[in-house]
Amino acid sequence: MTGATEMRTAADGTVSICSLRVGTGLFGIDTRQIREVLKTAPPHRVPLAPAYIAGVVPYRGEVLTTVSFRALLGLNLWNGANCVLVFDDEQNEERFGLIVDGVSGLIALQPSALEANPSGLDARSMALFDGAYKLHPGLMVHLDPQRLRPSRLAESGLFANESGPIGR
Amino acid sequence: MVRRSEPDKGKVEDLTKEFIAESQEGLERMELCLTELERRPDDGELVAEIFRAVHTMKGTTGFLGFGRLEKLAHAGEGLLGDLRDGKLAVTTELIGGLLRLIDGLRAILQSIETVGTEGERFEEDDRELIALLAGMKLGKLVANGVSASQNRVVGQPAVASQAATAASSSIHNKTLRIDVEVLNRVMNLVGDLVLTRNQILRCSPGAENFPMLARRLDSVTADLRESVMQARMQPVGHLFRKFPRMVRDLAITCGRQVRIEFEGQETGLDKSLLEAIRDPLTHAVRNAVDHGIEPPEERVKAGKPAQGVVRMRAFQQSGYVVIDVIDDGAGISTGSVLAKAMERGLLTPEQAASMGQREALQLIFVAGFSTAKQVTSVSGRGMGMDVVRTNVEKVGGSVELESHVGLGTTVRMRIPLTLAIVPALVVQSGGESFALPQNSLVELAYVTQHEAKQMVERMGTTVLYRLREGLLPLVWLDRLLGLEQSANAKKHDFYIAVVESEGRRFGLVVDDLKAPEEIVVKPLSAELREIGVFTGATVLGNGTLALILDVAATGARAGVRQATEAVTALGAGRIEAMTAPIETDIAMVIYEIEKHGLAKGGNGEQMAIPLSAVERIECVPLSEIEYARGRAVLQYRGELIPLQDEGEVLRELSAKGCSATATVLICLLPEGQGARRVGMVVRRVLDVSAGRLLAADATVCEQQLAMVNDRVKTVHREFAPWVDGPPAAVLREVA
Repeated sequence: MTGATEMRTAADGTVSICSLRVGTGLFGIDTRQIREVLKTAPPHRVPLAPAYIAGVVPYRGEVLTTVSFRALLGLNLWNGANCVLVFDDEQNEERFGLIVDGVSGLIALQPSALEANPSGLDARSMALFDGAYKLHPGLMVHLDPQRLRPSRLAESGLFANESGPIGR
Repeated sequence: MVRRSEPDKGKVEDLTKEFIAESQEGLERMELCLTELERRPDDGELVAEIFRAVHTMKGTTGFLGFGRLEKLAHAGEGLLGDLRDGKLAVTTELIGGLLRLIDGLRAILQSIETVGTEGERFEEDDRELIALLAGMKLGKLVANGVSASQNRVVGQPAVASQAATAASSSIHNKTLRIDVEVLNRVMNLVGDLVLTRNQILRCSPGAENFPMLARRLDSVTADLRESVMQARMQPVGHLFRKFPRMVRDLAITCGRQVRIEFEGQETGLDKSLLEAIRDPLTHAVRNAVDHGIEPPEERVKAGKPAQGVVRMRAFQQSGYVVIDVIDDGAGISTGSVLAKAMERGLLTPEQAASMGQREALQLIFVAGFSTAKQVTSVSGRGMGMDVVRTNVEKVGGSVELESHVGLGTTVRMRIPLTLAIVPALVVQSGGESFALPQNSLVELAYVTQHEAKQMVERMGTTVLYRLREGLLPLVWLDRLLGLEQSANAKKHDFYIAVVESEGRRFGLVVDDLKAPEEIVVKPLSAELREIGVFTGATVLGNGTLALILDVAATGARAGVRQATEAVTALGAGRIEAMTAPIETDIAMVIYEIEKHGLAKGGNGEQMAIPLSAVERIECVPLSEIEYARGRAVLQYRGELIPLQDEGEVLRELSAKGCSATATVLICLLPEGQGARRVGMVVRRVLDVSAGRLLAADATVCEQQLAMVNDRVKTVHREFAPWVDGPPAAVLREVA
């Protein structure tokens, strides 16, 4: 599948975007930035960790820290099956996972069609989102995995106020 | 000085890196040879080796365009050439000069490594050093320049070797030389692994050959793990290398005559652990030279040779590498330790009076404690042994101290073979599993709801548990971590894991204990490490994850104070409580061997063994118990110990099949019987509690009896003599 996508990318200048569902929203991430999509058991939660950290999952002999996208959006946690997208960060060698409700499919889009974040956006959304594509049924918010790195989220301080012991 | 044009980056950078690593190794070797040469001045082979090292270095520096290095190396080479040709004789001054040369070279290497250039600040030093070496070459040791420099040699070494340590801990430590053989073996195993994977992927579920494939996968994995571990192993000799120089410099600074000896240099230890114990070991050796070995005149007066010996010995022992630093110095007098502790307000005179020798020596590990009469530039700044202990404990090891006045002191460090795999106990709290490293675990207690009411008390905000003679602060793990507590948590029975780390001793309250496991430690990401309570995570046998608790940090987070403070405050009562009633009450392990109601028509007879004699209580599968000449024996930690089965528990269990497990108390027999271990097979362990001995009364029976919890128990005959407290020698062995 990846091979075919890459060929198409090369042919007409489009990029392949992986579309994700979180709550009622539709999001997209460039497939080239995704290392792997896992369907695993719910992550093992870490007490005292910030709320946006969903927990840890075993991944290739390592323990992978996962970020809950639902928590970042301020949605309730859900108990259904979910997917973990694994990202690599080449500069910092920081590998992490993003937990979403599900992956819908792949769409080929022209990168030039990406609209930047509107100016009226609140600070949190500004920090998380990387513009949007105008699709027919609605907008697909584009995400840049680099903005969702746990270390970046911690630095931004925007999500820290939700941290605290789980279950209180 | 002529600076050659800046070389092209990239390729040259790699070359430089390699050169630095190689040169640092070369310098280390040179240093070792030089100190050796001082002892055996006629050894031509040593001189030749040093010459070769300098020569190689000079060649490479010229090629890479490091002019300063080249000049220095050239000066050294000339001097060494004369030495090799027998034109010069080995003197302390000569060795001192050459050692200074090494320091000079090292400083430049460090500058190249950090800044990328040789730096120009110390050119003055270079010139002076070159002049010194040239002077030596001519055999003119009269110029005042030389004597001035000589003073510096003596004054500087501590600084110089510190710089050396700093320098050698960068690039040099990131690279590792591995035997190609080992690498080939790993590659072969990886090949095997791939083949096995292919077969497994191709085989249908429920295929006949699946068990065979699984077995093969298992053996390949085990072999691979062993090979990789082996590749990471480095002989401890690498670490020992820097000590001859250090000891030489220290001895000169402190006015001592010291010889250093090594044993077991080939003992292997994981590379990362080797780095971790570098500092503790340095501290221990410094202490040995500075505080341990007496000045020559004092030694002669005491009837010892003027030259003291510091011996470093490494060997492997049941999953640990033991490193001893032994000196034949003055030893540590318990009296002065206690006096110091009282002076510092750590102890009251009454407490001091009741302290045993072993207890008193442990005070040395308390932070801010130093018995040195005077503070020297080398050590004695009030930090030392506590740093040693903290660092060694950090990697899961332990430190012990043994000292005899007039004979010397031994510091014994026990280091686990690897950091990656540690034995741990899996506990459950708030519905989650956590791994508790075994090395911080002291004991476990089961507290029923009924007992909880009596034994758990509050003092201010601290919850305390009466554990035998002492009070133990309790920490509820689920509350500390903010986990959901089961609604009726208070009504439940619970377990207390008594843990101790970095001087903090407390009881961790958990809901349940799971099996002990050898866990593979996986590091956590930086954000999660920041929480501070977890050292890592691990995948348990059932495939789920568990977080590994950092016991010391957990205690700190819960506000448990370190023993140093506790001794003066809260623990003051504890020490008295621990020592005072000992005349009459001792802790006993209560067990039974007879079957309930057997023959006597009542309760089975309950037996007692002093707790101090019991090392461990083990659950042993029957299949592990072997028989030699009809006697049951057990292989326990590399030792063969006989089992005593007075209640014939084993026979009864074997009727149940070999899946049954027997409870065995691993005991240490009193010294009169050679201080050997023996295993007591018991039906079950009932309790551990304080008891009082009854005066022996031959009319009742010939057994020693004890009163525990208002009931009579029989003290096991072989342990009866222990009731007065085990002999000191045995106690040490237990520790």
